[in-house]
Amino acid sequence: MFTLVVGGSASGKSAYAESLILASPYRPRYYVAAMEPFDGECRARIQRHRRMRAEKEFETVERYTNLTSLRLPERGSALLECLSNLTANELYSPAGAGTEAGALAAVTEGVEALLAQCKDLVVVSGEVFTGGDRYAGDTDVYLRVLSAANRALARRADRVCEVICGLPQYYKGAAL
Amino acid sequence: MIFITGPLYSGKRAYACQMLGCGMEELADRAVWDVQGLAAGCESLEALAEELSRREVVIATEVGGGVVPVDAGERRAREAAGRLSCLLARRAERVVRVFCGLPMVLKGAEK
Repeated sequence: MFTLVVGGSASGKSAYAESLILASPYRPRYYVAAMEPFDGECRARIQRHRRMRAEKEFETVERYTNLTSLRLPERGSALLECLSNLTANELYSPAGAGTEAGALAAVTEGVEALLAQCKDLVVVSGEVFTGGDRYAGDTDVYLRVLSAANRALARRADRVCEVICGLPQYYKGAAL
Repeated sequence: MIFITGPLYSGKRAYACQMLGCGMEELADRAVWDVQGLAAGCESLEALAEELSRREVVIATEVGGGVVPVDAGERRAREAAGRLSCLLARRAERVVRVFCGLPMVLKGAEK
């Protein structure tokens, strides 16, 4: 089962995505983290989240770019968080794909590779597309790639929901 | 008139083509899009909505999320765009929001 969870910042999308994995019967539970720590604040935040997830028996795997090369040791369930970070890394990190087409391929093929390695997959992505329609340069490129990735994964997913104030609204498939 | 709305780059025109069973070229004759851009500086949003609602399909991008713009002109444009969408939704027999390429009917029956 592949579920795409989309939401704005602090919409409760991560907690909802976690709850989907906790409801899955498949172990081990992998948490694939795409956020690259740039400073102490990031690192402290990551450490806190890591501890919280360890209590829920998640194994954290950090992967900022090139998801296709990731190998999960066992076939269980996985939570990828989040596509907005992964897309930015593929576009702008020195280790990333660099181009618009390359970044889109790296993200969608990376998710495909993850899908082949687990029984339940939940992917978290950001809703950042209702703040205007006139963006230039890098911001517009980023929005184009992230939206294309969201649409491609929404087509591929069994279930797609938007989380609003912690409540999932399903566009495809149904709530469990 | 069918009113289609949704976030930027969410697949609204592709959905309209799919719904009408036509290609992008034919869509230009049957639908009008980016109408949010027509709202700014418009003297009568009612008249604009009335005129647009004679089209088969009207498409607008949602632009009212995020932080309120600092620039007064941008604030007015965003406000007008939102009001225009409300007027169009009122006149439409069907309203569909496209999110990540997936439609959700907000008003009227499923086709």
